[in-house]
Amino acid sequence: MTQRLRTAYITGAGAFLPGAPVGNDAMEPYLGQVHGRASSLGRRALRWNGIETRHYALSPDGSHQHSGASMCAAAIRAAAESAGEGLGALDLLATATTQGDLLVPGHGVQVQAELGVGPLEVASFQSVCASALMAAKTAWLNIRAGEADNAVAAASEFSSRWFRPEFYDGSDLIDAKGRLPMQADFLRWTLSDGAGAVWMQAAPSRDHVSLRVDWIDMVSLAHQYDSCMWAGAAPGQAHDLSRSWSAAGPRAAFQAGAIALMQDFTLLKTIIRAWIGEYLKKVDSGRIVPDQVDRLLLHYSARSLREEIIGLLESTGGMIDEERWFNNLKTRGNTGSASIWIMLEELFARGDIAPGERILCIVPESGRAMVGFMHLTAIAPDKETRP
Amino acid sequence: MNAPVAAKDVEDAAVQSVLRKLAIVWTEFEGALESTELIRRLNRGQLRLEDYQAFLINLRQQVVDGACWISRAASNISEDHFDLRSTLISHAATEHRDYRMLEENFVVTGGSRDVIRSAPKNPGSEALSAWMFHTASKPDPFEMIGAMFIIEGLGSTKAAGWGRAVADQLGLETGAVSFLLYHGENDADHMQEFEAMLRMLPLDAELEERIVTCARVTGRLYAMQIGDML
Repeated sequence: MTQRLRTAYITGAGAFLPGAPVGNDAMEPYLGQVHGRASSLGRRALRWNGIETRHYALSPDGSHQHSGASMCAAAIRAAAESAGEGLGALDLLATATTQGDLLVPGHGVQVQAELGVGPLEVASFQSVCASALMAAKTAWLNIRAGEADNAVAAASEFSSRWFRPEFYDGSDLIDAKGRLPMQADFLRWTLSDGAGAVWMQAAPSRDHVSLRVDWIDMVSLAHQYDSCMWAGAAPGQAHDLSRSWSAAGPRAAFQAGAIALMQDFTLLKTIIRAWIGEYLKKVDSGRIVPDQVDRLLLHYSARSLREEIIGLLESTGGMIDEERWFNNLKTRGNTGSASIWIMLEELFARGDIAPGERILCIVPESGRAMVGFMHLTAIAPDKETRP
Repeated sequence: MNAPVAAKDVEDAAVQSVLRKLAIVWTEFEGALESTELIRRLNRGQLRLEDYQAFLINLRQQVVDGACWISRAASNISEDHFDLRSTLISHAATEHRDYRMLEENFVVTGGSRDVIRSAPKNPGSEALSAWMFHTASKPDPFEMIGAMFIIEGLGSTKAAGWGRAVADQLGLETGAVSFLLYHGENDADHMQEFEAMLRMLPLDAELEERIVTCARVTGRLYAMQIGDML
């Protein structure tokens, strides 16, 4: 006999942002000076991305105050509290990150160890920003299928550690004038640290508004586009995996500049159009009805990107009124895969989501042309049906 | 007072709907282009001079036809849509000598004028031209605007970046990439002009379908033409 799929709800959200907010003028001591000189790009990058404060899991001397796993665990504890559940109730932990604390094993098991709970089913997703929604889809489908009653989707990033001078000094990335190329330096001024998590269950909360997960759609266009953000290949070589960092060994790879995180800005422009195309397909098919979206949580890496896409959305009937956009990039920084949960947590914690509101989350990932969409509907507290 | 506003809203929605579908077709086309061997080499910084010369030779044969099919489409636009006929005629006039720029670029890269003039069309170019002339030969071939969206979009979106990348990678003077740079500069207002042309048309669901299909077929054949260059 076939069993009906269940409905899954986000009943709690948590975030962890390490340390105090760091303003634009105070960033450089945390990141350090590459080749002993101030970055010539920093100011321009900050104007472009519009970020005013962010958080670092580093001290100004470069020492680590947290790990990626410990930040993720802290966000999960906050999500459990928000849901009113104990960690012992957890059946499934689905995690996401761009680069974990160790090369092997995966992020998920490190987060579980930090939480100190188990035995537990763990799913560990490694990609870039959209890995957050891969984890969410796993949590959602497991609740739907009846495989789990309490599932967490969590993500964390500890990007700042890859931006310290030790990752660049002495490598071929540094030019004759002692500067980093823009494709390596820009990300130093854009990405920062933090973690976020959502708790999912098969019934809405008794005490507060829950978010029903209506659907999660992921699309990757990696069959058509080269890598746009990568680590593990020297500049211009990310398409040739036979020459990736492991081929020459870590020492030679470092020398070639293959260890640093990099972004191809020319390709990024093309990929932005591809993302918009995927969004417009959903508008055209009726999957997304812009007028019926009450809040849009769009993860974008820079304010200037937002302005570039608005004209196109308006001319194609795809625009969601800007008044309905919610974003905290300016104050929380760009925390990659954790960003969408850090946004959702702020919205959730403010307690002003009205039952019936429809929330659309969009998480584009420049890694290799991916984009994820998640549609949520706010549901009133349910004292009747919940056990 | 409500009626004219409502009529404008309906017209706006019809224009938005066509532009949305065309934007989707465009991104599918761009994805197909990006995965052709020629554009992959360009994006990866691996372009060779003979690759660029093959591009010029192959593109010329289709650009020669470009102004001809726009003219033919104009000649088949009925008097009821005179503004559109005028727009197409002036568009054809602007572009009908462009193929000579490709010949000049080829000569600057060291190629012979005889070679670029006498080269045959590749299979993708043959298919593209046949499709264009076929469509332009119909009465009131309004769907050609879908083909123009794709081809003009290449100018406004890709040409300048390609031109600069070719010059950088091959160490060429701008005189060798002027066709690409010229189209990059001059097709920039593409979206606004295009919207104005759309508003000249009697848009309904049937015409929308014709325009979008024409754009899709044109994009597929154009990508085939680029794919056949190497």
